[in-house]
Amino acid sequence: MHIPDGFLSPQTYLPATAAAGLAWAWAARGLRRSLDEETVPRLAAMTALAYGLGLVMVPIPGGTSGHALGVAMLGLLFGVRLGFLAYSLVLLLQSLLFGAGGITALAVNALAMGLAGSAAAAAAFGALRRLNETAAVAVAAWVSVVLSGLFVALALGVQPLIAHREDGTPLFFPFGPAITLPAVLIPHVFIGAGEALLTVLVWRFARARKWLTPPAGGRGAGGEGLERA
Amino acid sequence: MRATRWLLAYLAAVVAVTFIHAPWLLAALLVLALAASGAGRWRIARRAVLAVLTFNLTVSLGYAAVSLWQGNFSVVYLLLVNLRVLLMVYLGFWFVARVNLLEAVRFSPTLGFVVTLAAGQIEAFARALRDFRLAFASRNAAAPALSARARHAAAQAGHLLDKSVCMAAETALAMRSRGAFDDYAGLPSPACVRGPGGEVGPVWRPRRPGVVTAYKKP
Repeated sequence: MHIPDGFLSPQTYLPATAAAGLAWAWAARGLRRSLDEETVPRLAAMTALAYGLGLVMVPIPGGTSGHALGVAMLGLLFGVRLGFLAYSLVLLLQSLLFGAGGITALAVNALAMGLAGSAAAAAAFGALRRLNETAAVAVAAWVSVVLSGLFVALALGVQPLIAHREDGTPLFFPFGPAITLPAVLIPHVFIGAGEALLTVLVWRFARARKWLTPPAGGRGAGGEGLERA
Repeated sequence: MRATRWLLAYLAAVVAVTFIHAPWLLAALLVLALAASGAGRWRIARRAVLAVLTFNLTVSLGYAAVSLWQGNFSVVYLLLVNLRVLLMVYLGFWFVARVNLLEAVRFSPTLGFVVTLAAGQIEAFARALRDFRLAFASRNAAAPALSARARHAAAQAGHLLDKSVCMAAETALAMRSRGAFDDYAGLPSPACVRGPGGEVGPVWRPRRPGVVTAYKKP
């Protein structure tokens, strides 16, 4: 789902970088205050975990597979802030070390997947957990993938509208929202279903290992998340 | 700080490239980058081409099909977008090949520290997942069912979660045993602590403010 370098116009990525800067400052604010021997290694471990989860292939009905985002899992287990920071670091490392994504697209990717994905997952879970916790986790994971896909599709789709030559030839990504929305969203409806299944299984795994403390507002949906009970 | 300057130069270069809309200029800059990047140029170029191939081919073929159908095909656009993406990815790989990324992010001790830890752990995770995949392939002579693949994906994700918790605890213990959290306890904020070369030293707060540590930096 990552947007690579070279397809986003400066009119998109420069404001997005400013917005992401504010979001990173917000996410790191509480963390910086409590930067200690537990939070620093934990942030590094979560970054590596998010990267590793991106390597897990999610099976899609029909025999194909897609990459797990892992953002919903991070958002649910560790909270929106830590999930967003960890995923942003993953995107940074992926773009610099492996050429996946891109440094100019970093802010858009981080906002679309890291922030919107983990926030959507936490919000959906919070709204639905009283009805049925398993269903809430599944819906949260599905919503996080589809919403991230929606933002990515919109960011790509506006490029020919805002950056083109006088004769209408695009300068960056060539397809408008009429093409990008179905092209990105339809596969991600299925990837989201696979990710929902994966997230539920890992959620149960985490619960069986007593990683999830009773819910406490604000941080992860599972309270402090990785606190071992 | 030299690495940090390279990082800033790289960032300025990729931003500047997005303001160039002339394919011939992008081609010239690509040739210039190839010429300047020394003996490893073809290895970097091969990596860059492989990294962009799938996405760019999809977009280029899609654009060609749609624009030919609509009657507004532009070969200049295809050259522009492919040269721009290739140049930006080439610059990224050249930067990483030339500069130690961990040195480059030293301007922020926290970022440098987290990137160091994460990059090391990513290697361990990638190795573990490769082992998982090989084991899964060896257990399934025929194509596995959807449920088996879902269980396999969940087992991998669960293992990664487990491993990350263990690694975080292990790293915290290793850092504590080396005094990483105690060395500068009680000293002013990081910006005020500079080494003999003027570099900002990593400063970690003790878990509880005011705690008396066993070891003080001489």
